[in-house]
Amino acid sequence: MSEDVPDEKKLIRAPGDLVSKLSEAANRQGKTFYSYISEILEQAVRAYEMKRSLKEIIDAYEILEIYKEAGTVFTPRDFLEYLVGKTYGEDKETLERLWHQAGRWYGVYLKERSSDSIDTFVRLLREGRWDLSEVTVKRNQETLEFKCVSPLVSQERTELIRHFIEGAMHSLGYKSEEKECFRGIIRLRFLPLVVP
Amino acid sequence: MRRERRKMLAARVDLADKISEIAARRGTLYDYVNDVLEQAVRAESLGLTLKEVLDDRWVIQDARDAGFAIVPEKVFYEMTEDAYDRLGKRKMTSLWYEIGQWYGKYYEDLGRFEGSVRRFFWDISEFKISEDDERLILTCLGSKFSEAYTELFSKFLEGALNALGYSLDGGEVSKGIISLRFTKSKGE
Repeated sequence: MSEDVPDEKKLIRAPGDLVSKLSEAANRQGKTFYSYISEILEQAVRAYEMKRSLKEIIDAYEILEIYKEAGTVFTPRDFLEYLVGKTYGEDKETLERLWHQAGRWYGVYLKERSSDSIDTFVRLLREGRWDLSEVTVKRNQETLEFKCVSPLVSQERTELIRHFIEGAMHSLGYKSEEKECFRGIIRLRFLPLVVP
Repeated sequence: MRRERRKMLAARVDLADKISEIAARRGTLYDYVNDVLEQAVRAESLGLTLKEVLDDRWVIQDARDAGFAIVPEKVFYEMTEDAYDRLGKRKMTSLWYEIGQWYGKYYEDLGRFEGSVRRFFWDISEFKISEDDERLILTCLGSKFSEAYTELFSKFLEGALNALGYSLDGGEVSKGIISLRFTKSKGE
């Protein structure tokens, strides 16, 4: 329970190691510990009002940072669709290779950066959306199955996202076993290259 | 993990009460405070405050709501270059100008547009709009921009600013550098 103290403050019990770490952080930022803790609690309340936990919010922020570091950009969707529509028909193979290579690069990057690179990759697809409304992954010892759904993306962009996912998964040590791609729906099944 | 002994934190009474109220719905106050402080330490290890993390949390969602799509940078630049060569400068610049106009009308306000460019186009190294009476000076630097993409992006900016009531009055566009001058459109 919290305890009343003078000057409209209350005392709250907290783990000693965390209090020590945050006290050092407050010093580094030139703030009093009291004002620093107030800021933290204000943000906890703010997160609660957003109906999210702080953990979820920081997880999402980390995804944003990965996007920035890994070289991903936002572009107007209309332009992207136009670009894909105009170039895919004329040189499908080059475009697919390009997206596959980009996926491979992501896979290598995630292997270096994350302890569970598959999980991070799935979170990247989910959080970043890529205009995907649903990304589900079934993982078991032998196979890994992806299902991505979007009512927004064209057939061409669906194909390119599939190549991107396959590129990343190949870098992460999987080979494609089954693939199905229909406008806005991707189903992929992967097997590990080396059976554990 | 084994914790050190517990310490007491002094907190503002309104916050302490609110935190107690939230914690009551989730478990114990001690566990909830523990979780909050762990996340604060985690944010600190990223070189950020929790406020900064929460402020930026909605970037992806906001970008999506404003009609942006995410794409690998290398793929995007190569596709753009390719399309610029195949479809020609005129078609491509006109398209980007139109898209810029759409965003100008969407944001309706120069400050909001400027803020969104800063938030969403993180491949831009510097973006600044300075106002001087009726004139505007826009500077945009993108070290990764190709010559063609710089040209297209300048058209995007021009389209947006026109929709926001400013007319182009001159400037310079060269690989990675956009420096444009605008004046308030007549009748605005």
